[in-house]
Amino acid sequence: MIIKNGRIHDGKGKVFPADLRLNDGKIAEIAEHIDAPDEEVFDASGMEILPGFIQTLSFWGINGSSTEIRPSSNDNDELSDPITPQLDVKYAFNGRAATVQQLGAFGLTTVGVTPTDNNLFGGTMAVFEVDGVNPFAMCVKPCVGMKASVCKKLKDSYGKRNVAPQTKMWIFEQLSEQLRLASEYKIEKDKPRDMKLEAIKRVVDGELPLFVSTDTEQDALFVADIVKPYEKLRLVLCNGFGLTAESGWLVENGIPLVVRSSSMTMDDIAMALDLKGIAALADKGLEVALSGVDSSFQMREDVLWLGIAMMKIMKDESKVLPMMTSIPAKLLSVDDVTGSIEAGKRADLVLWSANPLETYEAEIVATYMGGRVIYRKGDELRCM
Amino acid sequence: MYVIKNGLVYSMTESAPFEADILVGDSGKIEAVGKDISADCEIIDAAGCAVVPGLVDAHSHIGGVQMETEDLNECTKPCTPEVDSYYGIDPKSRDFEVAIRCGITTSCLIPGSGNVIGGWGMVMKSNPGTIAERVIRRPVCLKAATGINPKGMYSKNKQMPMTRMGIAFLLRDYLRQVREYMEKKETAAGDPEKMPKFDLGLEHGIPVLEKKIPLKVHTYMHDMVTVVEIAKEFDIEVTIDHAQGASDFYDVLTDSHVRGVIFGPISAGLFPGEGGKIDFECCKGLDDRGVRVTVMTDGPVTPENLLIYQAGEAVRKGMDPVRALRMITMNAAEMLYADSRVGSLEAGKDADILIYEALPTKYVAANLKMTMINGKVLYRA
Repeated sequence: MIIKNGRIHDGKGKVFPADLRLNDGKIAEIAEHIDAPDEEVFDASGMEILPGFIQTLSFWGINGSSTEIRPSSNDNDELSDPITPQLDVKYAFNGRAATVQQLGAFGLTTVGVTPTDNNLFGGTMAVFEVDGVNPFAMCVKPCVGMKASVCKKLKDSYGKRNVAPQTKMWIFEQLSEQLRLASEYKIEKDKPRDMKLEAIKRVVDGELPLFVSTDTEQDALFVADIVKPYEKLRLVLCNGFGLTAESGWLVENGIPLVVRSSSMTMDDIAMALDLKGIAALADKGLEVALSGVDSSFQMREDVLWLGIAMMKIMKDESKVLPMMTSIPAKLLSVDDVTGSIEAGKRADLVLWSANPLETYEAEIVATYMGGRVIYRKGDELRCM
Repeated sequence: MYVIKNGLVYSMTESAPFEADILVGDSGKIEAVGKDISADCEIIDAAGCAVVPGLVDAHSHIGGVQMETEDLNECTKPCTPEVDSYYGIDPKSRDFEVAIRCGITTSCLIPGSGNVIGGWGMVMKSNPGTIAERVIRRPVCLKAATGINPKGMYSKNKQMPMTRMGIAFLLRDYLRQVREYMEKKETAAGDPEKMPKFDLGLEHGIPVLEKKIPLKVHTYMHDMVTVVEIAKEFDIEVTIDHAQGASDFYDVLTDSHVRGVIFGPISAGLFPGEGGKIDFECCKGLDDRGVRVTVMTDGPVTPENLLIYQAGEAVRKGMDPVRALRMITMNAAEMLYADSRVGSLEAGKDADILIYEALPTKYVAANLKMTMINGKVLYRA
């Protein structure tokens, strides 16, 4: 089919009028004028066409299948052991639990799903579509990153039951030690295998990036220091709490950042999120992805609202929209398939009545996920 | 004394904005709104900017709840009408500074929702000063709650209410007791021998039964039907606070006993039970039907800056941006009986004035440039 006369925001900073031809779930062609008399045409005159937003670190598919006011099934939260790198979040994802949220109605087409911040190594992350039933069919890419955390949440989860960690000393010592052991690990015949170290070894070898959640700038500095000896290891810092315009070391070391927020102002750690400082770092070249709340109380509006908050500071859509689309795709290693409007990419598109990074009057006219319409204006928003 | 010059004024007395100057007197009141006002005083240039009334948050707990402190949920028994949020608020809390930076100049501060009857609420300004100076109405409501919050609180101890049946009973039973107490007082006609024993909790319910203040009820989804039934039965006013699912119950909410609907805040996706519907479209739906509607922060449960974002989502669901601004200024002020002081820009009202780069309920990137409360500039970007 052809989507004609829309204005394309490509997710990489460019805005231009163009027609799009979709074929087999992908964007087949982008051109000023496409005429194909035999194909279905959707007239998008006056509409702004954005890539689907991508939430980098989310709990979608894990939320929403439990009892009243317990929004989570907790299937990404294996609290039997603080070191569980051998686990895979793919097995926690419930397709219907994601679908029922109708994320397409909020501009999301793709989500990174992650283990919680409660374990030092939580397990591997995966990228999913937002609409479907079979979780494996919805999986755009498994094993896109190893989720780790040095947050206070570890102490809260274990220390209180008199199990390590009770302190940050243990957390950083073990982060360091597990990486060292993994780097020395070899599979040897007749020796029992260590599935944990095998999983971490993939990170040390640079097969997948290490996403580490931190509470403060000092946490982030310790993490960067500990991973430094491992040249192939690709670090992505998560949360951004406590980082400021003075945290130029992130830019110098080329370490990307996933920004999370807290819906709770009672949370002093999250209140230290300095979006102005992070915007200043982004201006100096820091790669920033805007994600959302770091708990199961995440909202469907998280990515858009963080984008709006960033627009208040940067006033420049060509810098902010990539933080919601192409940069998350890159950090999640799915930039070859989605995150921008380019020929060959998945047709993950949202047609807005106006630019949502400009006015609240912007409504979604239609959301395409892999070329399939998953939300159309007027569709009833479901209820649980 | 100030003159705010050349701004586009969203006065809330007119449906459309107009270019005007605003004269702010030393009394802290607005002295005039009009063309070409000049006075021998400091000029604040608002050319090209939107000048709007200070925002009014109709449901908040700032200054009373923090990570380590909890002074608004007295959950030692399910009904505590005798307590008063006045004694639970720290007027020096940093949350009020945050509120000023977010344009919230007035908040309705109320007990939490752990109890079926939670106690009295009040209306207070965000400016520095003592609590007595800043309270502009007390009491303004008696707080109540339905649904999972009181259920969850008392289920732990196997104490009523463990169910919605228990909540409906306790609400009704309290109001019945207040009514009987009032009848006894009336019968006694001032005779101390015949007067009922003084009961502060029942005393606090009298202004509710007299329709001087509403019962302010934490209510989601089908619980609003219960609340309106009880309001009609006792002929009292109620506000429906949180109100997720209100779009399913327009026929119920247009009842005259409903003083207003205070929607939000959203702080999650959908979840089963009372979190099962999130319908910002109810803001327009209720406004179109003549029901007073606003949104809230529930601060500090969600951050103060989210008041504007939520009004913005109501706009995305069809509400006119100026009506959306009215929701979080005049509508809230009216609901709180505070509209003689705040909620609009007109001569005689408190000089609680905001300057934004553009209309904040329409333009997402519009920053707040100045907050003035009682004629004092308390924030400049």
